[in-house]
Amino acid sequence: MTDARPKILVVDDEPQIRRFLRLGLEGHGYVVLEAATADAALRAAVAAQPELIVLDLGLPDRDGLEVLGALREWSRVPVLVLSVRNREDEKVRAFDLGADDYVVKPFGMAELLARIKAALRRRVEREAPTPLFRVGGLEVDLARRIVRVNDAEVRLSPKQYRLLQILVANAGKVVTHRQLLSEVWGVVHRDDVQYLRVFIRKLRSRIEADPARPRYLLTELGVGYRLRTPDQVPGPP
Amino acid sequence: MRLLSYVNSAAVVAGVGAGAHLLAQFVLLPHVSVLFIAAVVASAVLWGLGPSLFAAVLSVAAGSYFFYSPIYSFRVANPQDLVDLAVFVVVAALTSRLAARARARALEARRRQATIGGLYAFSERLAGSATAAELNASILEHLAPVIGRPIHLLLPEGDGLVPAASLDGAGPLPGEVLAAAGRVMAGDRAAVEGWRVDPLPTAQRIVGVVAAAQPADADAAAPPDPDYARALLGQAAIALERMRLGREIADARVKAQGEALREALINSVSHDLQTPLAAILGSATALETLGEAGDPRARRELATTIREEAERLGSYIGNVLDLTRIRSGQIAPRLELVELSDIIDAALRRKERGLAAHVVHVDVPADLPMLRLDLFLMEHAVANVLDNAAKYSPAGSEVSVVASVQDGEVALDIADSGPGIRPGDRERVFEAFVRGGAQEGGAAAGSGLGLAICRAFVEANGGAATVLDTGPGRGTTVRIRLPVPARADANGGPAGDD
Repeated sequence: MTDARPKILVVDDEPQIRRFLRLGLEGHGYVVLEAATADAALRAAVAAQPELIVLDLGLPDRDGLEVLGALREWSRVPVLVLSVRNREDEKVRAFDLGADDYVVKPFGMAELLARIKAALRRRVEREAPTPLFRVGGLEVDLARRIVRVNDAEVRLSPKQYRLLQILVANAGKVVTHRQLLSEVWGVVHRDDVQYLRVFIRKLRSRIEADPARPRYLLTELGVGYRLRTPDQVPGPP
Repeated sequence: MRLLSYVNSAAVVAGVGAGAHLLAQFVLLPHVSVLFIAAVVASAVLWGLGPSLFAAVLSVAAGSYFFYSPIYSFRVANPQDLVDLAVFVVVAALTSRLAARARARALEARRRQATIGGLYAFSERLAGSATAAELNASILEHLAPVIGRPIHLLLPEGDGLVPAASLDGAGPLPGEVLAAAGRVMAGDRAAVEGWRVDPLPTAQRIVGVVAAAQPADADAAAPPDPDYARALLGQAAIALERMRLGREIADARVKAQGEALREALINSVSHDLQTPLAAILGSATALETLGEAGDPRARRELATTIREEAERLGSYIGNVLDLTRIRSGQIAPRLELVELSDIIDAALRRKERGLAAHVVHVDVPADLPMLRLDLFLMEHAVANVLDNAAKYSPAGSEVSVVASVQDGEVALDIADSGPGIRPGDRERVFEAFVRGGAQEGGAAAGSGLGLAICRAFVEANGGAATVLDTGPGRGTTVRIRLPVPARADANGGPAGDD
C-alpha cells in the first residue's frame, strides 16, 4: 500500500534545524526526507519525487540557488527557500529562479506550515485551474474577464487586467517586478520598476478600499507584489 | 668705523675753525671758543667720548693757533685761554656721556620694540596654527633667524625624544646632538660643538628641545639677543603645551564616550541577551523534566514562553547588527523613487502582531509625492518607531501614522497615547541604549536601540527624526521629515493605456 501523505524533502546542513523540521512536519502528517548537501538534495529530488522541497541556501558544497536552478530545468516541484539572509536582492534572485516562497530564518513552525500548505494548494490549483478567483470582496472571473469588488463590476484597462491576471495565476505567491514587467510590457522593459509602481497604484485605486493600506494586492518591499489568497486575508476590519 | 669718527670730528672742528676765521674778517669775535664748543658737542652727540675729546684738543689747538694772540703760534699768552681748554674738555666729557646714554636708550627702545613686534607676530602665528605640523613649522620658522639654521624640533614621544620637525635640516640629526637634546630635556645642560641646544620650558616642565646648527665663525655673525631668544622659546613651549593639552582633552573625551558606549553595550547585552536566554533555557529544561506526565496546559505555556523569548532575542540581535552596521559606516543607502505608503504598509504588516492590541489609524494622502529613499532602511526606521509606540502605550489605545507635506518636505508623524517623553529626554532617546525616562517601572522591555537606529537610518536617507512637543499627557509623537526630490514625476510610463 502506498503512502498517501505528502513527501517533503528538507535540505539543510544544520542537523538541529533538520531535526525540528522533521518533528514538526511529521507531527502534521507529512513524510520527511532529509538531505544535508546540494548533491544529496538533487539525487533525492530525482529518486523520491517529493511533493515539496524546503531548501536552505547556505549549503556546504554549493549555493542553494544553484540547486534551485538545476531543479527548475526539469521539475516544477514547489520549492520553499530558507535563508538567514534577509536581503531584497537575494529574495529577488530566488523568486526569479522559480522559488515559490522565501522564509527568513529564524522562523516559527506555524508560519512554515502555513506556507507549505499554501504552496501545496497552489500546486493542486495549477494542475486544475478554477476560472473564478475570490478573496474578500474581490472577485476575478477569468473565463469572462470580469472583475468585481463588493459585487460591483470594476472596469480595468487591458494592461491592468493583464497585471491582475498574472497575480491571480500566482495568487499567494510573490511575483517579482521583473516577472511582471516582462510578462506585461515585454523583456525590454523588465527593469522599469517605476512604470510598474504607477500601474500598481492605478490598479489599487480600482480594487482597494484604501490604496494606502491594501488588503488584496500587497507590496513585497523591493521584491515584487503578491495577491493575497482567502486564507491569508484577515477578517474585515 | 672708529677711525672714521675721529676724521669726522676733525672735519667738524676744521669746518668750525674755517667758519670762525671767515667770520672774524667782518665782525669782532671776542669769544671764538664758544663756536668750538658747538663742534665738541656735535662730536660728542654723534660719535661719543673719544672723538669729542679729540675734537676738544683740536679746538684748543686751532683756537690758540688761529685766534688767540699770538696768532699762528701754539703759545698761549692769555691765561683765559687755558680756562677755555679746560671748559672744552669738561663739555666734551659731559656731553658725550649724556649723548651716549641717550643713544643707548634709543637703541634699547628700538630693540625692545622689535622684540615685542617679533614676539607678537610669533604668538599670532602660533595661535593661528591649527595642526601640530603647522605649529611645529611656525615655531621653527620664527626661531631660525634668531637661533640659527638648520634647526630641529624634538618632542617627547613615549619615553624618548623624537625629531618632530626641522627646517633646512638635511639628513638625520647627529647622534651626539640627539643625546644632548635628551639631557636638556631632562633639565641638564649639554653642549655640542657647532650646535646650540635649547629647552622649550613652561613654568612647570620642559615640553621639548630645539637644536640649531651654529656657523663655525660664530663671532662674525651678529650675536643673538639672549632675552629675545628666551622669550621666543618660552612662547613656543606654551603653544606646544596648549596643543598637547587640547589633544589630550579631545582624546579623553572620545575615550570617555567610547567607554560609556561600551559599558552601555555590556549592560544591554547582559540584560537583553541573558534574560531571554534564561527564560528559554529554563522553559526548555522544564519541558524536558515534565515529560509525558506534564499538564498539557503547562507544556503549552512553556512552549509559548520559549517562542516569545526567542523572538525577543531575535529582534535584539537584529538591532545590534543594525547598530554595528551604522557604527562601522556600512550604510550605503540605495536610493530609488518609491511611495511612502508602500513603506508604511510594509512596516505595519511586519509589526502586525505587536500592534494587534492597538487601534491603528493611518492617513497617507494619495497625492503624496514619490520620495527618493532606500526601502530597507526606511521600512526599518518606521517599524522601529511603531515598535516603540506599541510597547510604550496601553493596549486598546490609538497609534496613528499620518503623512503630510509641510514646507516642501514630507512629514511622517507616528503618535501613540502612552505616557510621553519628558521634555529633557526628547533628544536623548535618540542615543543608543537610552530608554525613555517617563516609563518608570514600565514592564515594556526594549534595548534602547530602536530610536537610535531610526534616526541613523532616516539621516542616511537625507531626512531627520525628532520627538515633537505635544504637551504633557498627550503621548509621544515621532516626526520623520523626508526631502521631496526635485523632480518627483510619478507619471508617464511605457505604453500607458489609461
